[in-house]
Amino acid sequence: MLEIDGISKRFGSTVALDGMTFTVRPGELYGFVGANGAGKTTTMRIALGVLAADGGEVRLDGRPLDAGSRRRIGYMPEERGLYPRMAVGTQLRYLAELRGRSAAEARAAADRWTARLGIAERRAEDVQRLSLGNQQRVQLAAALVADPDVLVLDEPFSGLDPMAVDVMSEVLRERRDAGAPVVFSSHQLELVERLCDRVGIVRAGRLVAEGTVAELRAASATELVVDAPQAATGWADVLPGVAAVRVTDEGTVLTLADASDTTLGTVLDAARRTGPVHEFRRRRPTLAEIYRDAVADHVPDLRRRPGAAA
Amino acid sequence: MNPRLRPVGLIARREFASRVRGRAFVFGTLAVLVLLGAYAAVLATITAGDDTARVGVTGPAVALAGPLQRAAPTEGVTLTVIPQPDVAAGEAAVRAGDLDALVGGEPARPRVFVESEPPADLERVLDDATTVVVRDAFLTGRGVDPGALDAALAESGPVIVAAEPPDPQAGPRLGLGLAGAFLLFFSIQSYGAMVAQGVVEEKASRVVEIVLSSVRPWQLLLGKVLGLGAVGLLQLVILGGAGLAVAGAAGVLVVGPGLVTTLVSVVVWYLLGFALYATVFAAAGSLVSRQEDTQSVLSPVTITVLLGFVVGFNLLTSDPRGAGITVLSLLPPFSPLFMPARMALGVAPAGQVVLAFALTIAFTAVVLALGGRIYANSVLRTGARVSLREALGRART
Repeated sequence: MLEIDGISKRFGSTVALDGMTFTVRPGELYGFVGANGAGKTTTMRIALGVLAADGGEVRLDGRPLDAGSRRRIGYMPEERGLYPRMAVGTQLRYLAELRGRSAAEARAAADRWTARLGIAERRAEDVQRLSLGNQQRVQLAAALVADPDVLVLDEPFSGLDPMAVDVMSEVLRERRDAGAPVVFSSHQLELVERLCDRVGIVRAGRLVAEGTVAELRAASATELVVDAPQAATGWADVLPGVAAVRVTDEGTVLTLADASDTTLGTVLDAARRTGPVHEFRRRRPTLAEIYRDAVADHVPDLRRRPGAAA
Repeated sequence: MNPRLRPVGLIARREFASRVRGRAFVFGTLAVLVLLGAYAAVLATITAGDDTARVGVTGPAVALAGPLQRAAPTEGVTLTVIPQPDVAAGEAAVRAGDLDALVGGEPARPRVFVESEPPADLERVLDDATTVVVRDAFLTGRGVDPGALDAALAESGPVIVAAEPPDPQAGPRLGLGLAGAFLLFFSIQSYGAMVAQGVVEEKASRVVEIVLSSVRPWQLLLGKVLGLGAVGLLQLVILGGAGLAVAGAAGVLVVGPGLVTTLVSVVVWYLLGFALYATVFAAAGSLVSRQEDTQSVLSPVTITVLLGFVVGFNLLTSDPRGAGITVLSLLPPFSPLFMPARMALGVAPAGQVVLAFALTIAFTAVVLALGGRIYANSVLRTGARVSLREALGRART
């Protein structure tokens, strides 16, 4: 279990983290989402001891992290980095040994992961001679080669081709199923929605929402999609219990302030008064929409524009 | 192995292996070896050159043959006297390069025919020989036996008693000292710069973040300095060994206890000097994030070392016992360069050696503490150059 407990960090006058707190349980895939500069990378760097926190604590299995227990974490930094003039195999063995593996373990793990990630025939080549995609695979292998008990990956999917995304997803699920706490950050919210058991949304150095995608959905405002082709514009604007109305390709989308049966009845009645109703359904917000809501909370007049990816 | 030191060993091993197998090391060492070999070959040809003077005599000057043969050794010349049938044949031989000079005419005032001008030592031999001929004739005319005079003169002359007799090995010792100083300077400059480049490369490629999530900054710094220091030492031993072999083969150097002491002191001072400079270079390198900026932070260090080296080298050759070089060799940043040279020359009192050693160790300890702090504070800061003030601030824990 990886616990991030009340971490704060400032850079000069900028507050980067303001009491960041979340927990990644064993066998859980945790998605860490937030805008650029929200504090995801800083959190991960502090967890790995690359940066020092101003306050708070990072614990692994209940004990504060130290140099020894940090070696049990597989880490993929946001800024990718490997020794450019070092052969793939040698480099992976070296990184595994630095994390405390024996020479034999390191060799076996380097062979296993290069084979698994489809770069076995590149083992003897210098990293700088590899394509960017293959360098990414080596980077992932570098995070996995010490057989870590925990994975902390900063933007592991960025720059990957679809095949590599599949391999990466498979590897993350596999580690999760093996009981490891796995946390990764990403801007690809569909991917996070599909993969993650729980999601934490971070804004301005704090966690503003956390839970399974279903929980987040339940906590967010209910939306109704109503397709009433003959309805005049503004038909739903003044209905009681409706917070916002917008028109999309699907029809009119109503955000409900109160999702009670009374409100639903009122809306349906109003729709039917305009003529035929082709569609009347509850809309399940995507993680991208939930995220935008959470992040946009502090700027209330920002209109939601569905469909635009983050 | 101590779990805190195993990463240091791994890092040192990686640095060592990647450099020793690298092209720069192999070709650099080979190039210096080839240069050294070429230098030795040139030196050997010069010293082994035919330095026997060939002088032809003809006519009455044949009487000079004996005096010339006797005068030659006193001037340090090996001389062959070859009688010539006549002046024309002798001059032809001089023109053909078979003779260095043709001596003809009266023995007291002979006519010497040369290609262009006589070598200075040959001229002195001729001078001596004519003087002897005239003197002997003069003495014999007055009834004095020149041989008796020579025997009496041979007994005369002062007896020199020196307070500090000159060291017959002074030349080779100076050579050894200077070569040692140069090798130390060369190793410290090139391998120190390598430490800085390595630090910047890790920063530029961002791999330092992965490495530092596994090990502490001091472990990385120590491993790097040890690994590259070992590479530098290896090269120092190869080059120094080759140099000694060449000098030994040329007969310039006599193996003795003095030589062994010098070698040991060069190695010890190298280790100390490398620890000092490598830390400075590593700290300087950690301030920048791009290879292009490396030079700007290294130049203050390299220029200081270079200036010290040039000044010290001149002082050492001109006046190895002077106050200038004594002071310079006691200043910690320069002690590793010049103390071994002064020790090789036999002009460094034991007290000064001990003082310089203690000062250098103290200075190195301070440099290690400050340099390690700068390194730990700066090595993860990418982007703009880190100012020294920021780098010296609170160390991360």
